[in-house]
Amino acid sequence: MRAFGWRAVVVFALLAALPLVPGVSRYYLLLAFDALLFGAIAMSLDLLMGYTGLVSFGHAAFYGLGAYATAILMERGVQSVWACVGFALLVVGLYALVVSYFATARRGIYFALLTLIFAEVVYTFFRYTQTFGGSDGIQGLPDATLFPGLVIDTPTRKYYLVLAYLAVAYAICRVLVASHFGRVLVAIRENEDRARFLGYNVQRYKMGACMISALLTGVAGAIYPMRSAFATPDLMLWTESGEFIISVMIGGLGTLVGPIIGGVFFTILRDKVSSIVDWYFIVIGVVLIVIVLFMPRGLLGLRRIFSRERATA
Amino acid sequence: MILEVDDVSKRFGALAALTRVSFGVEAGQVFSVIGPNGAGKSTLFNVVSGLFAPNTGRVRFRGEDIAGLPPERVNRLGLAKTFQITNVFPEISVLDNVRVAAQSRAPESGRPSSLWRRPDVDGTVVALLEAFGLAARGEAHAKNLSHGEQRYLEICVALATSPTLLLLDEPTAGMTPGETRDATALIRKVVLERGLTLLLIEHDMSVVMGISDRVAVLHFGEKIAEGTPDAIRHDPRVIEAYLGGGDD
Repeated sequence: MRAFGWRAVVVFALLAALPLVPGVSRYYLLLAFDALLFGAIAMSLDLLMGYTGLVSFGHAAFYGLGAYATAILMERGVQSVWACVGFALLVVGLYALVVSYFATARRGIYFALLTLIFAEVVYTFFRYTQTFGGSDGIQGLPDATLFPGLVIDTPTRKYYLVLAYLAVAYAICRVLVASHFGRVLVAIRENEDRARFLGYNVQRYKMGACMISALLTGVAGAIYPMRSAFATPDLMLWTESGEFIISVMIGGLGTLVGPIIGGVFFTILRDKVSSIVDWYFIVIGVVLIVIVLFMPRGLLGLRRIFSRERATA
Repeated sequence: MILEVDDVSKRFGALAALTRVSFGVEAGQVFSVIGPNGAGKSTLFNVVSGLFAPNTGRVRFRGEDIAGLPPERVNRLGLAKTFQITNVFPEISVLDNVRVAAQSRAPESGRPSSLWRRPDVDGTVVALLEAFGLAARGEAHAKNLSHGEQRYLEICVALATSPTLLLLDEPTAGMTPGETRDATALIRKVVLERGLTLLLIEHDMSVVMGISDRVAVLHFGEKIAEGTPDAIRHDPRVIEAYLGGGDD
């Protein structure tokens, strides 16, 4: 609770009350599911982008692998949320170990490229081999069970599942960025050469940050089929990684809360605009360009403007 | 002998930056390496601190061969260095700069508990900032410090890793003569108080003469003289090197 802060408690309490609001339909609960899941992923990516200074173009692979982990188990009759999440942690963890080992050996654009290339290999495997259903992926999955007798079948329950995940992931990230480990990550972002001269094995810290970010993203992936009932290779497409990065930028780098807001904003914007026009990506693109150009600190940066106005008023 | 540099050579392509340089530093000594610009002083530091592996020769720190070890390993053995061009963490506070350095020596460092705990090192950190007159600037971002303050922060960050041997690379670079005098006196004081051994690189001879126990002179990558400050001041080869060619 200490790491959480009272404001976060209030926000999560309000979010928990959402299904109780009269007139909130199934549609909106599932949209809220998607929005919070996207926010949780953007927050995980922020550990790398905002705190460590590493831009990963391969987070879609962690997400997609998590989703397939759930789908593969469910296809074989395992419906436990815990088993699926555990299997996702194992699969994503092994993959992330390999990716982070090689990617953190290089800096800047090379790190970004290596994460992208690894992710494309994974995408190609799932998309172009029939091992796990090819382009159709794995469809028609059953509902997951949290405990014997508690099936995650209604939109409300699905919504609470993702909300609980977001709360846990947020608490983990908060503790992490305030910890010794988190402060070293910031030092690496600021000046990795000097960090080495202070006795820090920089690559090990970067690997640690990659692993934690990947595992959190993988769990988000594991939860997704519990709402959608499918896992497809599209979840691993590099555009998906791009949307995670955009969400972090929209929200505000290195703030944790900002990327959650960014992910929610992006998901809702995409949903709303795409229901009106087919060329919705042009609209989204314009909105994003405006945000990046005029709000370099992201949506959360607006907070500064308001607090300054209050101070001078 | 806390540091032994034995017959070290370092080449960059055709350029012989260091040629068969040897010297030894006793525990508790202030040892200075001087020489005109381009004499190979910084290369020597980079070899000792782990950035470059020497082409030939050995570097022993407290009896252990450290030539070619990565900087983080060398630092953990108790050897810290500062940089000629200030090299700190610009977008975080002065306090956090020194904290992250001090925390590398906390028992949690490198252990799983460092993922959720933040060791309290503020006693060490505040003492260091006070020693260098930076206590009032603790909350400022490092990039907003004055040049002189940044030079002091550079030293604080290195000292926070509790070294036994401190390598200072032109600590007074860019300071006015007045600031240089103050800084030199302060460094001398702190080094004595903490019982450190100091290896100092200087381009400005006046800085080292007052505080050094021993001085070595590099010229075009070779050691041309070594001795007490007095002996060095009157050494004809040194005078020739400084007044003759190759100077700035």
